Amino acid sequence: METKTGEPLIHLGVLEEALNLARANSLWPLTFGLACCAIEMMAAGASRFDLDRFGAGVFRPSPRQCDLMIVAGTISIKMAPAVVRLYEQMPAPKWVMAMGNCAISGGPFYYPTQYAIVPGADLIIPVDVYVPGCPPRPEGLIEGILLLEEKITKRGRLRKFRDAKG
Amino acid sequence: MLKDNLTQALASLNLEKVAEGDYAKTGYHLEVAAQPAQMPDVAQAMLAAGCFLESFTAVDLRETFDLVYHFASFDELCRTAVHVPLGKKKGMPTISHIYPGADWYEREVFDLFGIHFFNHPNLKRLLLPEDADFHPLLKDFGASQGND
Amino acid sequence: MIELLGIEEKTYTLNLGPQHPSTHGVLRVVLEMDGEFIIKAEPVIGYGHRGHEHMAENRNYTQFLPNLARVDYLHALAYNQCYCMAVEKLLDLKVPERAEFIRVITCELNRITSHLLWFGAYLMDLGAFTPFLYCFDDREHVLDLLDRVTGSRLTYCYFRFGGVPTDIDDDFVAGCRAFVSRLRSRWDDYHNLVTKNVIFIHRTRDVGIITRDQCVKYGITGPNLRGSGIPYDIRKSEPYSAYPLFDFEIPIGSNGDIYDRYVVRLAEMEQSLRIIEQACNQLPDGPIMAEKVPKRIKPPVGEVYQAVETARGEFGMYIVSQGDVKPYRIKLRTPSFANMSFFPEMAQDNLVADLVANLGSIDVVIPEIDR
Repeated sequence: METKTGEPLIHLGVLEEALNLARANSLWPLTFGLACCAIEMMAAGASRFDLDRFGAGVFRPSPRQCDLMIVAGTISIKMAPAVVRLYEQMPAPKWVMAMGNCAISGGPFYYPTQYAIVPGADLIIPVDVYVPGCPPRPEGLIEGILLLEEKITKRGRLRKFRDAKG
Repeated sequence: MLKDNLTQALASLNLEKVAEGDYAKTGYHLEVAAQPAQMPDVAQAMLAAGCFLESFTAVDLRETFDLVYHFASFDELCRTAVHVPLGKKKGMPTISHIYPGADWYEREVFDLFGIHFFNHPNLKRLLLPEDADFHPLLKDFGASQGND
Repeated sequence: MIELLGIEEKTYTLNLGPQHPSTHGVLRVVLEMDGEFIIKAEPVIGYGHRGHEHMAENRNYTQFLPNLARVDYLHALAYNQCYCMAVEKLLDLKVPERAEFIRVITCELNRITSHLLWFGAYLMDLGAFTPFLYCFDDREHVLDLLDRVTGSRLTYCYFRFGGVPTDIDDDFVAGCRAFVSRLRSRWDDYHNLVTKNVIFIHRTRDVGIITRDQCVKYGITGPNLRGSGIPYDIRKSEPYSAYPLFDFEIPIGSNGDIYDRYVVRLAEMEQSLRIIEQACNQLPDGPIMAEKVPKRIKPPVGEVYQAVETARGEFGMYIVSQGDVKPYRIKLRTPSFANMSFFPEMAQDNLVADLVANLGSIDVVIPEIDR
């Protein structure tokens, strides 16, 4: 298991693999919608796309109870300290998903004399998964969650079927 | 007719211009030009006629500012545009004691243009962080280097 | 008793947001409270400021089109429509009738999705989780329809200066009709689940009353205004596009409380269905783009103010052109800005439990306030 905070002190062997499997299949995201992508995040958690079947449907408003921060939307300069503070409040192991073009690189708002935004979440917090789109479809967000699960467990959920799509 | 009532009410204020607007081209029924000191009286007249403050903004014309107030009415279609020329480094009286909705509009103009409003109850920055030291919508803020 | 014990009573400052499940985005409200009563509520905005108006001065007219959808992403097509109409006014372009009908149909479908989302999110704020799932299901049907013709699910950039770029086909019209009958069959569910719910009525009746005087002083528009009994809807008072051809009503409330605003929004969805039905029946054939649209959009010197009725209220665009390919100044008069400026007065001397109910009932979208 890797987090950006460094190597674990104690390696627990097979137990670690089991723990990673548990962590990956019950990611609790933080309700952190900043702008338009928040609506697609809500749609991903709603009835049609249903994030809950991947275990990731329990959106918690408090960062102390989450392990996944989905940065959905543009980070303005005024908001940036709050984003960092929320990230620091999350207990390890924690992961960050940059959802949408704004969180990846400033998106449609990045231009030479832009004064108001931080062009990319990875300038202020470490990001694990990038989901491009403006906004990404809920299926894209689900693919991001599955990729994150792969990153956590080093094995994919139904990977052989997904890879075989050709 | 609201337009006639307004024209009458504004006529007594000795304004620079109270003229009929070209609605098909600009969307205004009435075009008014006023001096900064006259603006509170204009706002009072508009409120007495039952108009609401539709919008308030500023335009940086490089040498001067042009403050533009839009008023409209719920009862009858009549949009009034009030243009107030303001010199750079000059202040403007507030109308937030007449229209409380103007409070935020004036804070926004202060934030984006640096125009000061006298007697405003809470003239702080609205959109940018409080410690920002620039006014982004001024024409000399960052050259226009858009992609063309 | 408290004086005898020597306990000092002070007010308590509570910070709500900018990350909060009920603030509908990045809004921060600093509350000064005396127990459960709010003495002063000061919204701190700007956490979603992305510089749209500055971008407008650095982009040419066509490049600014995608920005409009990001101002209010829930009713993006109305914002597109306002911008296109404003520039068409400057350029003196006439939009063909079929394109106007398509604009109205897609815009009204978008209005329904916006109101449905408000409905689901607001009830989630009040603690009811089920309506959220119901209305997102209905919403997905509309998003499928709009996806086929516009290419997007949320941030549409479908209108162009002079018309629309892609035409709608018979499948789309059949889909609209099917959706109209589907949503009509769902009203009973919504009314039984929510409108007649005792807890909902207790939380919303006689709470958050907006008077006519306050509407005039703050410039409140939209369902908030109509909930207070003032029948001001730009589609009727300053008709634009193809709206004069359709027969629809403006639902109004009587009390001005949250319950009235809720009822007005639901009734507005029904009126939107009526408009879509009539538009589908009367859809004319013909071109979808104006004949002579200039390749380089360079409006002559002048200024224009164009207003449309969005799901939140009146959206106005004030464009100053100095004959260049880039606008000289664009001001976005967003309804949530004016509606939100009333919030401190609305929250004052009320319980903090009513704060969330009040905030949700004025239906704000934060990027629209911050632009």
